[in-house]
Amino acid sequence: MTFRVLRSAAIIALLMFSATPSQPAMAADMNKVIRDVFPAGETGFDPVAGNDLYSGTIIQAIFDTLYTYDYLARPSKIVPLAAESLPQITDNGKTYTIKLKKGILFNDDPAFGGKKRELTADDVIYSLKRLADPKIRSPWVFLVEGKFVGLDEEIAAAKKSGKFNYDSKLPGLEAVDKYTLRFRLKDTDYNLPYVLAHEPTGIVAREVIEKYSESDGRTMANPVGSGPYKLAQWVRSSKIVLEANPNYRGFTWDFVPQDAADQKLVAQMKGKKMPQVGRIEVSIIEEDQARWLAFQNRELDIMNMEGPLAPQAIADGKLKPELTAKGIRLDRIVDPEISFTYWNLQDPVVGGLTKEKIALRRAMAMSYDVAQDINVIRNGQAVQANYPIPPGVVGHVPDWKSGIKYDPAGANALLDRFGYKKGPEGWRTTPDGKPLVVTLFSRPDSLGRQQDELWKKSLDSIGIRMDVHKDKFAELLKLEKQCKVMSRPAAWIADYPDGDNFMQLLYGPNTGASNFGCAKIPEYDALYARTAKMPPGPERDKLYQEMTRIAEAYAPWRLTISRYRNQLIQARVEGYKKHPILHAQWQYLDVAPPK
Amino acid sequence: MAPTMLGVVLLVFLLFNWVGGDPAYVLAGKISNQEQIDNIRRQLGVDQPYYVQLGIFIKQILTADFGASWSTNESVSHILVTRLGPSLTVLIPLLILVTFIAVGLALAVAYVRGSLTDRMVMIVCTVGLSISILVYIIVFQYVFAYKLGWFPVQGWGNDFWENLIKYASLPILIGLTVSIAPNLRLYRTFVLDEINQDYVRTARAKGVGENRIMWIHVLRNASIPIITNLMAELPGLLLGSFLIERFFSIPGIGREVILAVERSDFPVIKAITVYVAFATIITNLLADLMYKAVDPRVQLK
Repeated sequence: MTFRVLRSAAIIALLMFSATPSQPAMAADMNKVIRDVFPAGETGFDPVAGNDLYSGTIIQAIFDTLYTYDYLARPSKIVPLAAESLPQITDNGKTYTIKLKKGILFNDDPAFGGKKRELTADDVIYSLKRLADPKIRSPWVFLVEGKFVGLDEEIAAAKKSGKFNYDSKLPGLEAVDKYTLRFRLKDTDYNLPYVLAHEPTGIVAREVIEKYSESDGRTMANPVGSGPYKLAQWVRSSKIVLEANPNYRGFTWDFVPQDAADQKLVAQMKGKKMPQVGRIEVSIIEEDQARWLAFQNRELDIMNMEGPLAPQAIADGKLKPELTAKGIRLDRIVDPEISFTYWNLQDPVVGGLTKEKIALRRAMAMSYDVAQDINVIRNGQAVQANYPIPPGVVGHVPDWKSGIKYDPAGANALLDRFGYKKGPEGWRTTPDGKPLVVTLFSRPDSLGRQQDELWKKSLDSIGIRMDVHKDKFAELLKLEKQCKVMSRPAAWIADYPDGDNFMQLLYGPNTGASNFGCAKIPEYDALYARTAKMPPGPERDKLYQEMTRIAEAYAPWRLTISRYRNQLIQARVEGYKKHPILHAQWQYLDVAPPK
Repeated sequence: MAPTMLGVVLLVFLLFNWVGGDPAYVLAGKISNQEQIDNIRRQLGVDQPYYVQLGIFIKQILTADFGASWSTNESVSHILVTRLGPSLTVLIPLLILVTFIAVGLALAVAYVRGSLTDRMVMIVCTVGLSISILVYIIVFQYVFAYKLGWFPVQGWGNDFWENLIKYASLPILIGLTVSIAPNLRLYRTFVLDEINQDYVRTARAKGVGENRIMWIHVLRNASIPIITNLMAELPGLLLGSFLIERFFSIPGIGREVILAVERSDFPVIKAITVYVAFATIITNLLADLMYKAVDPRVQLK
């Protein structure tokens, strides 16, 4: 009798154990603390609503996405995170089947009624639908809009009714079972895994959102995810403290070195259970001096030396010896971004695809000395951007010889040839004899003023009179969307590390969205439409190169620079290597306990 | 009071709509279309006619409910409540110290007016006045916090005493250095105005001690302009400390104002402006009451 009772109890216990996800043993040491810094305030930690780098960094540490990036692989390589493996892609890139890891737990929260809460396929669908909810007005809606079968119709219905129906079954977003997802796309798209690695697609639990959501459906102050860290304290725009999530499944540090520099890092970290660091303290320090002194005073462990600060620590691309002597290290990468000055192709003065307009834009592009931009404006903390796809992004061509080079003499000759004659005061007129004045739109800050001056100097050198229109950023964006900006210096940083994210900047149908200069170049557009349906590879790269040559010929922009990111790291931090796309890297690091 | 507040409301409303920019274009994100921007404008209420927006603004003042920040969704009342504490932790001790030190020194130098000490103090004050607060912050932070290690370079904790003693000390020291010089010069003039009055000569003739003359007779009569100055400074100090708050990472109200302006966060700007205007009116009223307390001749009507 006793044996039978015991056996029954054992069976019940076993069943319960197998039915409830187990509590993982936490590797993180709560005495290990990393002190990081943001130079600007965050806004909040709802994955679909966070719209700045700093909120995104915290979101990435708290929430799981389906995919992430290999910590050491360069160029960036997609690897599974909440997904069990890479997606199974069928139907010519239109259907994705994704298996989830089993036993992933959300951090504990009263919304779960005291029970452990496992992450399931329904949570992923719910999280993706939130991006499309018009009430939430997510700045990331472009990641899903026009992509999944049935979603656009659901958005339209929500706009009409004022309420998004999260319970509707959409053919494009299907939870096949608790751990299997099937996405059906309206069109071929091989970039979907990048979207699913982007923090706006961080996976949330519906109960949490419904418990804490604010009037507009956002949940900025109560992030509950299944990632390595949880929010422990938040003094808005001042201090953010994260602590290791006790429910996190953990992982073993086992990344493959890419070069000799990685070997030391691998030797330090290989085989460790992660995350090691139990507590992350992020201070928001807006002032450069305060940040720099705090770092030197060892009040901070990691810090990015931006352009104006960089000469304090870096000379000739290397860390100054006095800092090296203190054990401080420099980790330097070129950011996955491009800066450029565009001309509005719909503008009556500089726009159009006629030969004399092309000549005008090419001449202006040739008058601009990028070396001066790098040395004077950027304090040497940038490299020249020759190709529209920056380093670290799939499709980049390192040794690309651009067709646009600094050549003021050639620019003057080009203008002379196409009838832009110089008047008695040395200023050129249009071929039909009207005064030629180019207006540069810029922001009223120090960078804007420096750019105005360099462009003025450049255009003066080829006899083109330049005006400056100063306006607030919001107003510039407004004018830009209406194609009313003649020319403006702008920049684009990768949302995901694929060339498509950059080549789409000149795609005609993106006018009013990300095509700032309202470019409509038929040859370019035709090729882009083809590349958008192709997987990454040599065939697509070849088309990107053709498109780049077309852009150089029509000169809708002058590519200028890509900035360096200079991360300084204190000696006590182990395992640090700046990833070009990942913002939150604390889960890959270890640190000596404070003395 | 009501006409002053109405003037403030109209001015803030006009200024924001004139120079503030349309926040919807920034909030819409990197890739957005006109439909999304229109949706945001509708939700924020900036698509309404100006008179409707102004009506909403007045209603918000009457109900003391300014809604939530456009960029962070945090309720404006929560922003004010949480940011006020750190600002006051620095400002109240600063104000008390500045007042006592400046008044004490003013009495002392006025007593020895025309002497070398008086002239030296005035020269130091003039030099001190001519230097921007930014220079004081940069130099003091570098020397006292970084080089000498007497204070942390920046930071703010959770405990009041830790904040007051550890983190607020250097900001208060900077505040003192910046504020004592102008206040001392001003208060010295107030004291000098009194020191030559007949009642001082009479008191001396009656054999009253110099300390009593200065601290009781002169100070009491010089108090009215001192109170006026002190009360007029109060609301401005709250916002004017934004540089100190930014450099020392103090999560106060001045820093919040700058952040709100950078983000075109109109609900926060509206609330803070209205409350500061209100505080100005209240402190003026308090000053009137204090005049009566220090000088019974003053009649309140």
